[in-house]
Amino acid sequence: MYLLSVLSFQSPFLNPIVNFIDDVIHLNPILLQLFLLALLLGGVYALSALGLTMIFGVMDIINFAHGAFITVGIYIVWVLFGMLGVNPLVLIPLAAVGLFVVGILVYRGVVDPLIEAPQESQLVAMFGISLIIASMLAFAFENNPRSLGFDMGIITIGSASFGTDKLLVLCITMATMIVVWLFLHRTTTGLVIRGTADDRSSAEYVGIDVRQINRLTFGIGSALAGLAGGSIALIQQFDPYTGELYLINAFVIVVLGGLGSFPGSLVGGMIIGFIAIFGGYYLPGTVNQLVIYVIFVAVLLMKPDGIFGSDT
Amino acid sequence: MTTTVSDGSVLPSSIRNHWVRISRIVVVSITLCILPYLVETSIAGISIGNWISIHILILTVVWAFTAQAWNIMGGYSGQFSFGHAAYMGIGAYATMALLVGFRLNPWVGLVVGGFIAAGYALIVGLLTLRFKVKGHFFALATLAFAEIVRLFITNSSELHSASGYFRPLPSDYGVGYGLVAFQFQHRLPYYYIIIGFLAIVTTASWLIKHSSVGLYLFAIRENEQAAESLGISPTRYKLFSMMASAFFTAWAGSFWAMYFATIAPDTLFDLFRNVEILLPALVGGLGTVMGPILGSFLVTPLSQIVRQLVGNVPGIDHAVFGILLVFIVLFNPSGMLGWPRKLKELRSRRR
Repeated sequence: MYLLSVLSFQSPFLNPIVNFIDDVIHLNPILLQLFLLALLLGGVYALSALGLTMIFGVMDIINFAHGAFITVGIYIVWVLFGMLGVNPLVLIPLAAVGLFVVGILVYRGVVDPLIEAPQESQLVAMFGISLIIASMLAFAFENNPRSLGFDMGIITIGSASFGTDKLLVLCITMATMIVVWLFLHRTTTGLVIRGTADDRSSAEYVGIDVRQINRLTFGIGSALAGLAGGSIALIQQFDPYTGELYLINAFVIVVLGGLGSFPGSLVGGMIIGFIAIFGGYYLPGTVNQLVIYVIFVAVLLMKPDGIFGSDT
Repeated sequence: MTTTVSDGSVLPSSIRNHWVRISRIVVVSITLCILPYLVETSIAGISIGNWISIHILILTVVWAFTAQAWNIMGGYSGQFSFGHAAYMGIGAYATMALLVGFRLNPWVGLVVGGFIAAGYALIVGLLTLRFKVKGHFFALATLAFAEIVRLFITNSSELHSASGYFRPLPSDYGVGYGLVAFQFQHRLPYYYIIIGFLAIVTTASWLIKHSSVGLYLFAIRENEQAAESLGISPTRYKLFSMMASAFFTAWAGSFWAMYFATIAPDTLFDLFRNVEILLPALVGGLGTVMGPILGSFLVTPLSQIVRQLVGNVPGIDHAVFGILLVFIVLFNPSGMLGWPRKLKELRSRRR
């Protein structure tokens, strides 16, 4: 250890790595805590990226309003919880249904007319939608941070502990991924969606109503955003711009994991979760976010198909 | 070159046309210069000044300026940058860091910031062009490069981390209030400075557009392969447009720092800032010289008036930007400069 600490004095950049190795060698119990937190956060991030990756994979559209959709999901759960007072877990599916409707409306109004437009135009229009939604939310609910205030208790494993709600969200992530995977791979509609993702023009030639598939895909992708939003409402404080923070990470995850790849989103989400938690602990300031962006740029430049390629 | 260039520059330019153009420029410049006074004059007790303050006029010209600078890259060469906040931030930080750290005059910082921004644009450009990042991936990459600058500054204690800078008094760097100090006790002089900036960038933009470089850029935008087969190097001209655009955008940052007196990474590199910079160009007309200016005079006052009407919920004016973004993309891709033609079409259809 002496050698390592001497090294660290000479180079402040190595300090975090040295500290980390130090902790690993001494089996510092903090590692278990960090590992669990990273796993749980990774689950949330993966969930927040599912809808984005689905729309991206099938329609080749970056839904810049995905973050705003997530926020809408959050507020649906918050409002309903305030009115009904039931367990918010029951309300999460309602958020998904609500966002399905929002998604269909946005598809009708904006996405469908722009489906052949340049990618920049689609991106700009979707960003416009996200601005409209965010300011509507700010108008309706003000900018103060809110929270559900629904305590679900804490689980303790050895010296580590975490909130039950976070574990539930990880379970929701896994369940959602399995359900959507089964839908895509075990139903005819799923097969048609995957076919459209593979090759739009061929899909049209064999008689698939591509517009209908687009609408359905956009609806499901939006519903997944609602699901993510509803889950996020359980675990943290929020304001009308909370979804935006998840949006940026979701971009990174989608590009990292491969467009339209669900396993890719899980892995991507975990990578971001681990960098966020371990980087946050060992690196100074917000350098962990800097690391995430540098990885993002590197993947965008080198391999825009992601680690796993595309396979919706 | 036949389609999208639609501001009249393709028409055969007779001498009469020439004079029309010059007189139009003179009228626009004079209007811009006396605008602060025009706004104050009241007609029958009602003055626009109640709605449009000198502050809003300054902001309007700032965003006209940035949109004009953005247009050199996004409009002329068709590379849709979603990360111009990076260049604006670099300009602001170069100015403040040199001013606070080394007591260097802000005008020095303005030039230095411009060159640093151009250097950063060169890096971004070389990387994205080398790896052929296109379409929405290009937009995402530019956004990521902007976020990298923000996080780099937030984590550098040498650049005051997240707390940012506060503008020192002119006497701290050995001059009195005035042009040399880039500091004034009233708002009006700031207006004329940013008008001067706008004049410079508009001239530069016009010169680029009407030079061979401009022709090459439009050719590359319309059909890169065809342009390349004619011996035009897309990389070289795209890099040029990116660097020129970044160089000028940095000036807006310097102005921002001196006018608002305080800068911090979170306010300067807000995600929304990237849209604010480019929206006037989009609204006015992509790739045109007058478009960004016209666009800003619609967008900025409108959003400010909405903000005053609705009451002070921060971010409520963003709805205006959102609606405009969607509207322009869906119904009016050629922007405000396409409005006269659209009107004509509508009229002839009615007959």
